Amino acid sequence: MHKLHFRQLDETLYHEQLENGLEVFILPKKDFSKTYATFTTKYGSIDNRFIPHGSSEPISVPDGIAHFLEHKMFEKEDGDVFNQFSTHGASANAFTSFTRTAYLYSATGQIKENTETLLDFVQDPYFTEQTVEKEKGIIGQEITMYDDLADWRLYFGVIENLYKEHPVKIDIAGTVESISQITADHLYTCYRTFYHPSNMLLFIVGSADPEEMMELVRSNQAKKEFPPAEPITRLYPDEPKEAAVKSGSIRMSVQKPKVLVGMKPAVTDLSGSEMLKHELAMQLALELLFGRTSDFYHEAYENDLIDESYSYEFSLENGFGYAMVGSDSHEPEKLAEEISSTLQRAAEMWPFGEEDLNRVRRKKIGTFLRALNSPEYIANQFTRYKFNGMDLFEVVPTLEGMEVADLQEAFASISGEQQRTVFSVLPNRKGQ
Amino acid sequence: MFETIGIANGVRLHVNETKQFKTVNIALKFKTGLSAPKAAARSVLANVLQHSNEEYPSHTALRMVLDDLYGTSLYIDAAKRGTEHIVSLNVETVNDQYLSEDGVLEKVLNLMYLILFKPNMENGLFKETVFNREKNVVRQRIESIYDDKTRYAQHRLTELAFPGHPASVPANGTIGDLDGLTNEALLAVYQSMLKEDKIDIYVVGDFDAEKAAAYVRRYFHFDGREPEQALVHGDVPQPEKERVTENEEMKQGKLHIAYTTPVTFRDERFPVMQLLNGVFGGYAHSKLFMNVREKESMAYYVSSSYASQFGLLFVLAGIDQAMDEKAIRLIGEQLEEVKNGEISDEELGQTKALLTNQLKEALDSARGQIDIFDQYMGLTDEFDADYLISRWADVTKEDIAAAAAELELHMIYFLTGKESEQRHA
Repeated sequence: MHKLHFRQLDETLYHEQLENGLEVFILPKKDFSKTYATFTTKYGSIDNRFIPHGSSEPISVPDGIAHFLEHKMFEKEDGDVFNQFSTHGASANAFTSFTRTAYLYSATGQIKENTETLLDFVQDPYFTEQTVEKEKGIIGQEITMYDDLADWRLYFGVIENLYKEHPVKIDIAGTVESISQITADHLYTCYRTFYHPSNMLLFIVGSADPEEMMELVRSNQAKKEFPPAEPITRLYPDEPKEAAVKSGSIRMSVQKPKVLVGMKPAVTDLSGSEMLKHELAMQLALELLFGRTSDFYHEAYENDLIDESYSYEFSLENGFGYAMVGSDSHEPEKLAEEISSTLQRAAEMWPFGEEDLNRVRRKKIGTFLRALNSPEYIANQFTRYKFNGMDLFEVVPTLEGMEVADLQEAFASISGEQQRTVFSVLPNRKGQ
Repeated sequence: MFETIGIANGVRLHVNETKQFKTVNIALKFKTGLSAPKAAARSVLANVLQHSNEEYPSHTALRMVLDDLYGTSLYIDAAKRGTEHIVSLNVETVNDQYLSEDGVLEKVLNLMYLILFKPNMENGLFKETVFNREKNVVRQRIESIYDDKTRYAQHRLTELAFPGHPASVPANGTIGDLDGLTNEALLAVYQSMLKEDKIDIYVVGDFDAEKAAAYVRRYFHFDGREPEQALVHGDVPQPEKERVTENEEMKQGKLHIAYTTPVTFRDERFPVMQLLNGVFGGYAHSKLFMNVREKESMAYYVSSSYASQFGLLFVLAGIDQAMDEKAIRLIGEQLEEVKNGEISDEELGQTKALLTNQLKEALDSARGQIDIFDQYMGLTDEFDADYLISRWADVTKEDIAAAAAELELHMIYFLTGKESEQRHA
C-alpha cells in the first residue's frame, strides 16, 4: 500500500492496485463520523459500440443500456440490495453518466459490512427476463420525468445540436422505445465487458481506518475469481469539428424562455497533466468572461437579460466536451447574441491580464479547498480525474503555475463561430 | 456541540470550535413572525443587501472583493420555518492556515458588517435602481416555480389545501405582495430586522468561543431587544374540495397527497411520527418504494415527507397519467398496513438505523450542524445527536400504528397532461 501525504492540503491518500487490477484509494478524514464509498466502472452511456469480452466482432447495444444495467444491479435473487444497506444503517445510491457508472453508499457505522455489501453486489450480477421486463416500467417513468424537466431538455438540446455522430448526443437513459429492446443477455454482455475489476476504481473517504480497510478489500477480492484482464475496445464514430446544428428550440409548459449558447471544443484528445492544465485554464477563462465579476454579467444582469437561473459550465472528456452559457430570459435572442459577441471579441483581442488571472486563481483555490470538506466531492472528482489520467491533488499546484497565455490558448479551443450553437425552450402559450 | 453566549437580550452567539473543516462558517439568522407581505419584503431585502453597499457600490465591486478573499462564499437567503420567517447571512471562508496570507477572516467580518449596516443608499432610501432590479429578480424567482412541475404541483397543493394558514405562505411571499412593496416600506422592514428580530449567530471552525464573541461585539452592534413570541397557528383549515385535478402540457402525472396529524414538532410523539414517515415512505426500504415502485413498477419516485411544524405528511409520486386511481389505491393500502401495525422488525430497525445515519451524516458538514442545531435547540436545552437517537430507540410498532390511526387524508392533488381531460369528462 502506498501512502501519499499532501502537506499543503493536510490530507493523506492511501493507494493500492490489487492483483485482479482493481484500483483502491482510501482517504481518512479526521473528526468525520461518516464514510462515503464509491465503486465505479469506466463505462457510461457513450460506450454503445464495442467488442464484447471474449469476442472479436464489434456489436451495438440499445440506447440507455448502461443506465438500465445500473438499475438492475440492485436486484438479486434473494431480494433488494437497498434492504441490506438499510439494515446496516447505510444509504445507497448509484448514477450513470456519459463515461462512468458509480455505485455508492454513505454510512456512519458498520463500515466493514457496508463495504463488503458494496463490493459483493456490484460483482454479482443477477438478470432474468422477468426482472428486466419489470424494470422497464420504472425507467419508463424516469424517462418521462426528465421529458417534463425544461432545464434538462434545454441542456440536452444543446448537446444534441453540437454533436452529429458521437453517442454523447443520446440521452443517458435512452428512450422508452430503445429500452424496450433490452434483454438479460444484453446486460450480461455489457457486464462482462465493462465490470472487470481492471476497469474499476474503489474510493473510500471518511472515518475508515486505511490499513484495516485495505486488508478487507484485499481479502474480499482474493476470494473471487475473474477472467484475465483484457483491454477493452470501444468504437466511436468520427465527429466533425463544427456544431451539427446552428440553432434550435422546442416549446414546453414554461412561463419564460430559456436559452443556452453551446460551444464544442476543438481539443478533446488530452489526458493526464496536460488535460488538467487545459481544463483548469478553460474554467478560469470562462470565469473571467462570464463569471459574476465579468463585464458581461454586469451588463446582462442590470439590464434584466438574465436572472438567478444564469449559469455557465465547461465539461471535457476524452473524445467530446462542451461549454454552455445561458439563463431564463425574456429576450433569449438578444442574450444569445450578447454571449456570442462576448466570445467573438475575446477571440479577436484577449482582454485579460495578470491581475485578472490572480483574482480568479485565488477564487478557484479557495473554492477547491472548500470542496475538500465534502467526502462526496473528493470521491467522485478523484475518480473522474483518475479515469482521465489526472490527479485531483495536483489542482492547486497546477493553478499556481498557470499563466495568462494558458487561458488564452485554452479558450481558442471553443471560440470558433462554427463550433457554436444556440438552443432555447420557449413557452407554449402566449401570456403564460 | 455548540457553546452559547448571550450577546444582548434576544441576540445569541453559538460557537462550535472544531478542526474538522478547512473553512470557517459563519451564519447570522434574523427571525420574526411569518406573514406573506413580510416574506416578500424580506426576500427583496436579502437580495438588495447582497447586491452592493456603501463601500462597494456595484455588484461587480462586491463580488471582486469576495474573489480576492479566496472565493469566500457569501449569500443571504429568505426562508420560513413554521410560523417564523428567517433571513440568513451565510459565509464560508478558507481557514488562514491553508493560505499564504493572514487576516482574511477580519476582512471577511468587515465585509459582513458593511453588508448589514452600510447598504447602498440614495436620498435616504435604498438605491432605486437596485431596489427595482432586485424586486424584479424575486418576482422572477416566484414565477419560475411554474417551470418545475414537481415544485409547482406541491405549491398548488399547499395553496389549495391550506388557504389562509401559515402552511401555505410562500417563503418569498406572493406576486401581489411584491407589487405593493415600496422602497420606503422596505427600509422600515430593514430597520426592524436589525433592531427587533431575534438573532442567532453561528460560528463553526477552528475558533474559540471567547474570540468569536469578541469579534461579534467588535463588528456587529446589536442592541438588546424583546423578540415577539412565536405566533401560534390555528388548526389546518378544510379545503374547498378534497380532490383536485389540474392540467398542464406535460407527459407525466404528478400525484401529491396531504395528510394531517395532531402530532407536531413540539409533541411528545414527534419521534414516533419521524419513524412513521420512514417506515411508510422516507427511504428506499420503505413500503411506498418497495411496493409502488419495485413491486408494481408504477413510478420512478414515490416518497413521503413529514412537515413537523404544522403536523403534515405529504406523499409525492411521478406516475403514468392514466394511473392515478391505481396509485391512490396502492398508497392507501400501504398506509393501511402501517395503521394495522403490519411493520416487520426489519423495517423498524432499518428505519431507526437510517434516521440515525442521516442525522450523524448531516452533522459532518458545518452547514448541517448550524441548520440542525438551529432547528432543535428549542426542543431541549442540551441538544446533541444522542438526544434524538435515544428517543427513536424507544419507539415501538404499536406507537407507530397508533399515530397512523390519527392521520387524516386532507387533500389529493393531481397535475397531469391534457390527454386525461377527456378521460375525466
